[in-house]
Amino acid sequence: MPRRRAARLVAAVAGAILLAAGCSGQGGGGGEAGADGELTVALQFPPRAAYAFDADDGARLQSLGVAETLTTVDDAVQPAPGLATSWEQTADPRTWRFVLRHGVTFHDGSPLTPDAVVTALRYIAGVTAPPRSIRGIGFTIAADGADAVRITTAAPDPVVPLRMSSGNLGILAPAAYTGGQPDVVRTGTGPYVLNTVNGTDSAVLVRNDGYWGPKAGAARVTVRYVTDPQSRALALQSGDVQFAEGLPNASLDQLRSAGVDVAEYPAARTIELLLNQSAAPFSDLRVRQAVTKAIDRPVLAAQVLGGAAAPAADLFGAAVPWGGTAPPPGADVDGAKALLAEAGYGPDRPLQVRLWTFPNRPEMPVLAGAIQSMLGRAGIGVEVTVGDYSAQEPDVLAGRFDMFLNSRSYLSDYPDATSTLTSDYTCAGSYNIDHYCSAAYDALTARLPTVTDTAERQRLFAEAARVLTADAVGVMVVHPLNTAGSRGASGFVADPLGVRPVLPPLSRTDT
Amino acid sequence: MRRLAGGAGILLLLVVVLPMLLPDPVATDFAAILRPPSAAHPSGTDQLGRDVAARLLVGARLTLGLSAVTVLVTGVVGTAVGLASGYAGGPVGRAVLRLTDLLAALPTVLFGLLAAVVLGPGTVALLIAVTLVGWTPFARQAHQLTVRELGQGYVEGAGALGAARARVLGGHVLRNIARPLVAHACVRFAGTLLTVSGLSFLGLGIQPPSPEWGAMVAEGREFLFAAPHVVLAPSVAVVLVAALALLAGRALGDSVAGRRSPGPRPVVVSRFRRRRQNEGGN
Amino acid sequence: MLGPLLRRLLPLPLILLAASVVAFALPRLVGGDVTRAVLRARVASDAPDPAVTARVAAELGLDGPVAGQYLRWLGAVLRGDLGIGYVARTPVADQLGSALGVSGLLTGAALALAALVGIPAGVLAARRPGGPLDRALSAAGIAGIAVPEFVLAPWLVLVFAVGAGLFPAIGWGGPEHLVLPVLTLAAYPAALAAQLVRAETIDVLGRDHVRLARAKGLPERRVLWRHAARLALTSVTSLSGMFVAGLLGGAVVVETVFGIPGVGRLLLDAVLARDLPVLQAGTLVLVAVAVVAGMVAEVAQLALDPVAHDREADR
Repeated sequence: MPRRRAARLVAAVAGAILLAAGCSGQGGGGGEAGADGELTVALQFPPRAAYAFDADDGARLQSLGVAETLTTVDDAVQPAPGLATSWEQTADPRTWRFVLRHGVTFHDGSPLTPDAVVTALRYIAGVTAPPRSIRGIGFTIAADGADAVRITTAAPDPVVPLRMSSGNLGILAPAAYTGGQPDVVRTGTGPYVLNTVNGTDSAVLVRNDGYWGPKAGAARVTVRYVTDPQSRALALQSGDVQFAEGLPNASLDQLRSAGVDVAEYPAARTIELLLNQSAAPFSDLRVRQAVTKAIDRPVLAAQVLGGAAAPAADLFGAAVPWGGTAPPPGADVDGAKALLAEAGYGPDRPLQVRLWTFPNRPEMPVLAGAIQSMLGRAGIGVEVTVGDYSAQEPDVLAGRFDMFLNSRSYLSDYPDATSTLTSDYTCAGSYNIDHYCSAAYDALTARLPTVTDTAERQRLFAEAARVLTADAVGVMVVHPLNTAGSRGASGFVADPLGVRPVLPPLSRTDT
Repeated sequence: MRRLAGGAGILLLLVVVLPMLLPDPVATDFAAILRPPSAAHPSGTDQLGRDVAARLLVGARLTLGLSAVTVLVTGVVGTAVGLASGYAGGPVGRAVLRLTDLLAALPTVLFGLLAAVVLGPGTVALLIAVTLVGWTPFARQAHQLTVRELGQGYVEGAGALGAARARVLGGHVLRNIARPLVAHACVRFAGTLLTVSGLSFLGLGIQPPSPEWGAMVAEGREFLFAAPHVVLAPSVAVVLVAALALLAGRALGDSVAGRRSPGPRPVVVSRFRRRRQNEGGN
Repeated sequence: MLGPLLRRLLPLPLILLAASVVAFALPRLVGGDVTRAVLRARVASDAPDPAVTARVAAELGLDGPVAGQYLRWLGAVLRGDLGIGYVARTPVADQLGSALGVSGLLTGAALALAALVGIPAGVLAARRPGGPLDRALSAAGIAGIAVPEFVLAPWLVLVFAVGAGLFPAIGWGGPEHLVLPVLTLAAYPAALAAQLVRAETIDVLGRDHVRLARAKGLPERRVLWRHAARLALTSVTSLSGMFVAGLLGGAVVVETVFGIPGVGRLLLDAVLARDLPVLQAGTLVLVAVAVVAGMVAEVAQLALDPVAHDREADR
C-alpha cells in the first residue's frame, strides 16, 4: 500500500510535468495567422516613453503609419507633400507658408484644420527637451487663413520643409492634447488607426478606411515588440509573424532557405573610430593616417561582422544620395608602419594607446577586438576597455582618451546632415569628441544655413565628408545594414532614412 | 585529501602548461571565424577567429583567480568577524549575526547592480559586490563554531591554566574549527565562481574582450544557433570547476554542501546544527 | 503566532530607512551626468545641449541640494507615491507592480516545481543512505547546484527550442513561455530541497519513537512517508525564506536570457538608463520583500516546527 502511494506520487509529479510540457508544446506554434487581410509583425524597438513625440517614439508612430507630418521625403531626399500639399518661403525669408491638404480627418472624426496643426506643433515646441528638428531655431507657428499655417524661425532657414518631415512633429487631433502627454490612441491621421496599446509588449492597428491616400494593406495589424533579434527570426521562421525587422546576421541564410524574403539595406549610421586630436599621439596627422591604413574595413564588414555592415569610405555611405559608395581600400600595413616611423614611432619606441567602447550594441566589442588585432599588426599596441557609455562621455568630451569607437546616427530626426556636421566636427561643436578643429572646414559648414537649393546642399555635405576623410579625423569604420524579412506578406519598401511609413504598404499573401 | 591535491595539480597543469601548446589566445584569424572544433582548434574558433580553447585557459586565470582571491579575502575577514563575535557573545554577537542575516537576505545581483551603477560595470565593481556579501557565511559559521568550541572542556581547561584569552581564541579554537572552515571555503569557491561569471554574463562584471568565462558565454549567445560550440566550451568549464569544488567541500565534510549564494540560512539545516551544538555542549 | 512575527518586524522600518538612503545616494555618486543618460535613453545618439540638459534636470528635480531631493522623495514614498519613471514616463508603481507580478509567477512556479521534485527525491535518497539511489540523486544534486542559470538556459534553449522545437526560445505571454525559464530556475532550489529533506529524514529515522514504530512492525515505508509530509512542509517554508534572495538573483539572468519583463530586467535597464526613480523604488521594494519573506518563513518555521515537537515527545 505505501509503496503504491509513493509510486503514485512520483507518477503524479512526472505526469504533471509532462502534461505541462505537452500542452505548452501545442500552444507554441499557433500565432494569429488565418483571417485574410490580417498581419502580425515583430518590430525591434518598443516604445521608449509611451509613444511620446519628444522621444524616439515619434519616428515609430510615423513608421507604423499612425501619425503623419506636414511633409515627407522622396527618394532624392527632397521634401514631398504630406499633410501639407505645398509650401513656399514668403517675402520675409524667415517665414514659410504651408498649405494644408483638403478633406483630411483625424481618426476621431475631427477635421484637419490650421488650428489643429498649430496646437500640435506648439505642444512639441514647448516641451522641456524639444526634438532636434526644431530645437534652437526660434520656431513659432500661427494659422494663416482657412487652409494654411505660417512657420517662422529666428533666422532664415532653408530646410524648414525638410524639418517638417521629422516623425517627432507628428500631428494628432486637438482632443489628444489635454495637458499631459498626448494621447495617441485613435487620434492620428495615417492609414492605420492605433486601436489598442499594450505597454511595450504589443499594439493593435486597424485600417483607416477614410484615409486620404492609398489605403493600408491589411485590415488589422498586431504589432509585437520583440527586443531579442534571435526570437524575431524564430517568430518569422515558425510563421507566428509575417514580417520582422532587425534579423540576426547569423540566421539570414537559414531564413532565406525557409522561404523568407530577406531585404538588406543601408542605415544612416556610421561606426566611427574617433581619435583624440587634442593630444599626442593623434594630434599628428601621420599617426591618424597610419591608423586608417592599418584597419582593413572590407574585412571588418565582410568577415568580422559577417556581412552585416558595409565598409565605410566616408561619413555617410549608401543610405543617402550624397554618401560615398566606392569601397574603401584594404589594409596597408607597410604604409602604416612607414607613416608611424615618420612620426617617430617604431620597434624601439612602440605606440601604445587605449581604445574605449561600450557594449550596448553587441557589434561594438567585437569590432574593438578586431581593430586591436589589426593595429597590433602595424605595431600599435591597443588596450581595449569596454565600459558604460554614460560614464565615458564626460571624459571623451573633455579629451581625456585616445581612441573611442562610437556608433553615430548622422541624420538627426530629419534627412539633413547639417546638425551632425556642425556638432561633431566644428571647432565649437557640442559633440566634437575627436577635437578636430579646422578653419577651412568650419567655413565650409558655415555656408550651409544660407543654401536653399537641395542639390547644392547635398554637394556641400559630400564636400565636408571629403575634407573629414582627407584630414583623417577618425576612421569611418563601417555602416551597419538594416534587415527586414517577410514571409506571407509582400510590399515591403526599404527606407534607409527612417522617416517613411513601413507597415502600410505591407499586405498579406497566401503561402 | 591526496586526491584533492592531485586535482589541484591537474588544474594547475591545465592553466599553466596547456596554454603553451595551444594557439595564441589573442591571435585573430578573420578567414576562420566561428569554425567548429577541429584538430587545429580543439574547441573551434570564435567570432574573431580566435582559438576558443586558448581563450578558455586564459580566462581560467581570470575567473578562477578572481574567485580564489575573493574567497580568501572574504574567508579571512568573515572568520575574523565570526571568531570575535562568537567570543564576545551577548548583544555584540547577536548584532553581528543579525547583520549577516540581513546582508545574506539580499540577492547578490542587487549588490552587483548597485556597484555597477556607482563604479561603472567592471572588475572593481564585481569584486566589491561579491566581497560585500561573501564574508557573511564565513562569519556565521565561524561564530557558531566558536560558540560551540568555547563550550568544550578543553577551552575552559586552558582558561583555568591561565592561558591568555586571545591565545585560547587564536590557538585552540581556530585550530579546531579550521577543517570545517576549509571545507566551507571550497563550497564558497564554487558559489563565488558562479556569481563572478554570472555577473559578468549580465555585463555587470568583467567586460567582453577579456575572456572571462561568463562574459564568453554572453558573447557567444549571439551565435548560439550558428555556432553553439562558442557557448558550450566556457559553460562546460564553469560547471566542471564548480562541481569539483563542491565535491571537494563535501569530501572535507561540509554539511551544507552546496550553498551557492550566501542566502538566508536554510532553517532546517541551521536548526539541525543548533541541536548538534547543544548535544556537543552537554 | 503573530507575536514573534511582529517582534521581528520591529526593526524593519529602520532597515528600510537605511536601504532608502543607500538606494538614493548610490546612483548620485556615479560618474557621468544622470540627466544626459536619461535624455539619451529617450532619444538615441542625441548630441549634448547644455541648455536642454539644464531644463530637463530642473524638470526631473535633479537640480538643487541632494539632501532636499532625498527628503522630497522620501516624503512622496511615505505617501505611497513612488514617482514617475524618467524614461518610460509612466508611474513607477505600475512598472514595478507588473514586473513583480511576472517575477512572482516565475519564481512561484519554479519553487512549486522544485518542491514537487526535490522533496520526494530527498525522502527516496534517505531510505538507504549511501545506496545506489542515494548516490545517483546526490550526483544529480551536485549538478543542480553547479550548473548556473546562465549556463542552463542556453543549453535548454539549444535542446528544447532549437533542437526539438518544443518550446519558444524566448518571450513572455502564453503558458508555453513558462516552461524553459521555470525549469532553469527550479534546478537549484530542487537540488537544495532534496539535500535538506534527505538530511532531516535520516535524522528523523534515527529517533527513538521511529525506531519504536519500526520495532512494533510498522512497515518501513509507512514510517518513512508518514514523516515525509511534515518534512515537506518545513522544507517548503524554509525554501520560501530563501526564495526571494536566491531566486530573484537567478531570475535576473533568466529574465535577461528569455526576454521576460520581470523585476530583474526592469532594474538592469534602469541601471543602464540611470532611471533613478525606478532604481530607488526597485531597490527598496526588493529589500523589503527579501527581509519580510525571510522573517515570515522563520516565524512559520517556529509555528510548524515538528522537530521541536518531536523533541518534546522524546523526553
